[in-house]
Amino acid sequence: MATAVGAVIGMDSNLALQLIIQGLLLGGIYGLIAMGLSLIFGVMGVINFAHGQMMVIAMYVSYWIFVLLGVDPYLSLVIVAAVIFVLGYLIQSAVVNRILDYPEAMQVLPLVSMGLILENLALLLWGPDHRSPQTALSLEALWIGPVMIDVSRLIAFVLAIFITVLIFIFLKKTNIGKCIRAASDNRTGAILVGINVNRIYNASFALGAATTAAAGVLLLPIMPISPYMGHDFTLIAFVVVILGGMGNLIGALVGGLILGVAESASTLFLPATLKHVVSFSILIIIMLFRPQGIFGGKS
Amino acid sequence: MEKKKKMGMDRRTFIKTTGVIGLGVATSSFGVPKLLRAAPTTIKIGSVQPATGPLAVIGVGQRRGNQLAADYINSKGGIKSMGGAKLELLLGDSESKPEVGRSEADRLIKEGAVVMTGPFQSGVAMAISTLCEQRQVPFIMDVAALDQITGKGKKYTFRVFITVTGLLNGAVKYLEHVTSLKGVMPKRAVVTNTADPFGKGMSGGFIKLMEKSGLPIKIVERIQYPLGIQDLSAEVARIKAARPDVLFPVSRPGDSIILTRELYKQRVKLMGIYGPGSPGYYEPGVIKDLGRLIDYVMVNVPWINPKSPVYQQANAAFRKAHDRYLDTNSAYAYTGVLVIADILERAASTDPDKIIAATRQTDFKNHPVVGGPVRFDEKGDNTGALTALIQVQPDQDLFKRVKVVAPKEFAESGQIVFPWPQLWER
Repeated sequence: MATAVGAVIGMDSNLALQLIIQGLLLGGIYGLIAMGLSLIFGVMGVINFAHGQMMVIAMYVSYWIFVLLGVDPYLSLVIVAAVIFVLGYLIQSAVVNRILDYPEAMQVLPLVSMGLILENLALLLWGPDHRSPQTALSLEALWIGPVMIDVSRLIAFVLAIFITVLIFIFLKKTNIGKCIRAASDNRTGAILVGINVNRIYNASFALGAATTAAAGVLLLPIMPISPYMGHDFTLIAFVVVILGGMGNLIGALVGGLILGVAESASTLFLPATLKHVVSFSILIIIMLFRPQGIFGGKS
Repeated sequence: MEKKKKMGMDRRTFIKTTGVIGLGVATSSFGVPKLLRAAPTTIKIGSVQPATGPLAVIGVGQRRGNQLAADYINSKGGIKSMGGAKLELLLGDSESKPEVGRSEADRLIKEGAVVMTGPFQSGVAMAISTLCEQRQVPFIMDVAALDQITGKGKKYTFRVFITVTGLLNGAVKYLEHVTSLKGVMPKRAVVTNTADPFGKGMSGGFIKLMEKSGLPIKIVERIQYPLGIQDLSAEVARIKAARPDVLFPVSRPGDSIILTRELYKQRVKLMGIYGPGSPGYYEPGVIKDLGRLIDYVMVNVPWINPKSPVYQQANAAFRKAHDRYLDTNSAYAYTGVLVIADILERAASTDPDKIIAATRQTDFKNHPVVGGPVRFDEKGDNTGALTALIQVQPDQDLFKRVKVVAPKEFAESGQIVFPWPQLWER
């Protein structure tokens, strides 16, 4: 059997190409998830341990809209992002703003609890089943020669890049965006020039939440939802953020692409059970040799 | 500040406990007519199932199966040899983890469970079995397949479910049956499995047995992935590269969905999917989500006996309560509690030794699953346990899409479709 495996790996370059494309497309969504986390960290310095769970809630909301009203996830994206924006705003103003001055170890707990609350809320509302409704495009595929391109992944990838660019422009050009960057640069300075920092924080957290919500909606046609999938994505987002550089948005996108390709291509050489070993090995290597991340400046 | 650990019960605890018990007894007797109070005892059965975590769908079904059987027994007057004692199910949640399963079992035993059942996962079963042997509490497993759980001089561990060996023998037997019946023989095959103890043991054993079987099917690749995986596109790309004629997946609900959709998207040409024995392709949720893509998937699996009146009655009740059909797992969960009730009836006692003696004498025919009467051998395994071959077929009624196609005496449909029409040609 081992020789057969060797032969398959040795001769099939189509397989390698297929794996790289799939990884790249999924990597775009990883990047989008991580960007939300990075934004929140970059502005407030708190790590959102409920990140994956917020994404799962977004997926369920989108699922509900699809099943009850028949609206395709791509069309409900904006609505779902808005719902999770509000959720993020509330979490920030009710919980996170109160713990910003606490030691880091103490900031972790409320957010982990928030994650557990959201996870169990999903379990309560939607039950433990894996749900994977067949949306209009979830089975479509394009063929370029022998290589298959999954249409829902392609759409997700393109939209993920688009959203990233939008947020980038938002932060650079708009007033609120500039306030967010000011608050992230120097909190005291921002307060001194009259920025309502708490409100800016609320908006940043909400924006981060909405970003991950968008990613969740894009994932809905690709993978089945279950209440427990949040953890995995929180971890993936961590790895990506550290890979790209904490608080660096473009870094998050590039990190996502790298991780997506690495995970997917690793299945050429390694059993899929070792996928996470690959991602966390990358994490450790980055931590050892370039702790500020690929795009991170000097800390 | 002295912190002495006392072994026995001190005065305060005694007063507190008796007080609470007294209050409980007093309040529970309020409003109950005197006649009914003739049988005040309840017998506690501990059920540890993976009610949360990646196997929660199944775990919740297991609990419901256990509960339905307990309710049925109680509605028929409870355990008559013990004055109509009612069965009370104590619920534990293993969270799909052995260590949690063990501590939950410990808790239920402390709360007064005289018999334990559960726990669906072999890893958890190992942990609970060791505990039950120590505590001398009979452990009548409803579902758990790994051979090593029973035997090894264990005295209190029994299993109603089939063993992995039994499952595997069935898998090869029915594969021979299908290929000879249809006159087609696949040449290349890929095995996929979830990398949990059950998935690894099941697929590893299947590969070994296939080599010994003399069937000319070559297993060209084995792909393992973690339980609860979200994306199988890379794995399916590898499956495609291996060019198999048939796929042997040992899967669970979530991965079955993504696996099949990816096979469709990547246009993997197959003669069919033949599951050597795992839950995943017969869960109603999976069938609903996969629609026509799941048609003609075959699975060798311990299954419900559609012709048994016990099944028909239980299934009607289950459907009414939960809008799902009684599948293998929940039916075995149901059977487990029926068997326990039968044992208790004959033991006429909650004494562990008497329960064990009665368990050894078990010969229980009125159950809802495919197989002979439940009897336990030396090791504690059920000699009547048998698998069936099921195939998902098109049917208007979601709940009727899974059909038993072999063995003959249990079959609902004489038709077996193999090779199947390709996924994208339907």
